Amino acid sequence: MLLISFDHEASSLPEIKPIAQVILRHAFSRNLRIIGMSLFAEGTAIGYNMLSETAREFDKGYGSDFVFLGFKPQYISAILGMGESIRSVFPEDYLGNPLDSLPLMKHIDNYDSISMVISIADGDRAVQWIEYAGARYNQKILAGLTAAMITTYDPYLNSGQLYSVVGGLKGAAEYETLYGRPGSGSRGLLAQTTSHIFIIALIIIGNIIYFRNRASRKGRG
Amino acid sequence: MDLGVIIAGILTLAIYSFLYKDNSIYKMAESLLIGLSIGYTLVIFWQSTMIDLLIVPLFGNGKIILIVPLALGLMMFGRFSTSFSWLSRIPLSFMIGAGAGVAIPAMLYARTLKQVSASVAPLITESGSFNFSELVIVIGLLSTLAYFYFGRRREGVFGRIAGVGTYFLMIFFGATFGYTVMSRLSTLIGRVDFLLTDFLHILK
Repeated sequence: MLLISFDHEASSLPEIKPIAQVILRHAFSRNLRIIGMSLFAEGTAIGYNMLSETAREFDKGYGSDFVFLGFKPQYISAILGMGESIRSVFPEDYLGNPLDSLPLMKHIDNYDSISMVISIADGDRAVQWIEYAGARYNQKILAGLTAAMITTYDPYLNSGQLYSVVGGLKGAAEYETLYGRPGSGSRGLLAQTTSHIFIIALIIIGNIIYFRNRASRKGRG
Repeated sequence: MDLGVIIAGILTLAIYSFLYKDNSIYKMAESLLIGLSIGYTLVIFWQSTMIDLLIVPLFGNGKIILIVPLALGLMMFGRFSTSFSWLSRIPLSFMIGAGAGVAIPAMLYARTLKQVSASVAPLITESGSFNFSELVIVIGLLSTLAYFYFGRRREGVFGRIAGVGTYFLMIFFGATFGYTVMSRLSTLIGRVDFLLTDFLHILK
């Protein structure tokens, strides 16, 4: 049983979507059951749509193979509250169904029934999962992050507080290769590699112009 | 073509029109984005907080205890009046006290104790080989701490150690900047991919 939290905004979707898609595809292909949720208001509808779309690819049913709990503000109290009782934090799912009416949630009460939490984040929300669910409830935390956040999370990865990270388009492309189904991450990485080569070429050209100008100024002086 | 794709495509081009110059189409798209984001967030917050956590349990299920958070919430509006502004100090102090009580132990453990223990590892591994990475971590940690120690003048050996710290800081900032460029490029690639594939159907 996985808990996937879509802790991101719509603006980071081009980078976040390939990461989320490959994680969801891998999980559904291994017949893992998924509980989705969000600690960001903007991530709620996006997370539900991504989860539902990927579930359709694998013929997975809502309520039995996956559920989406929706959004909760006050993320610290939500994370801590779920450690005691998920029902107390989310009495109903995103669609308004009482949790007890969903077969998947019948025997799920707190983190004890969840093997890992994956936070798909474009900010520091995964840190809160580490600090509260990881530290207090010994929950295994993984993260799918935008590239800009990778250095922020490196210390947590090195200390073992974060079990694993999929970082940026590069991480998504690597995961897709391992999973054996290239997707939008691999396609985006090709464009990204080309643009990196272009940037490196511009840096080299800029430096050559700078040093030539400096040499000619020295020559004149 | 899907109406949503057409709107998204036009709005993307409207935002990119800023690359030419600031114009009214860009301003309209920018205002629409901010307005939509705030409106959407407000509705979600209203539903998931006020309705689900307060109004339904209090008035529907009779959970009388919820009068306490309701009263604390109403006291916050005291800030709008000079004669009642003192009322807002009660919920604020409650929030700060509760927040600090919850956050300090968790942050001390996760950000300080665990990080310190992860930084202190043997230089010789169990198999007897030399752990070069750990040596780099120790040098980086001590020299960076020396850089941020302002109780002593940076001269002599201490100054040279602090100088080494600046190199580690520059490497960190360089890596962070590189990753940020990578992240922004990914966003641009995603938008261009959307424009060429879904909106204009130039790519398949």
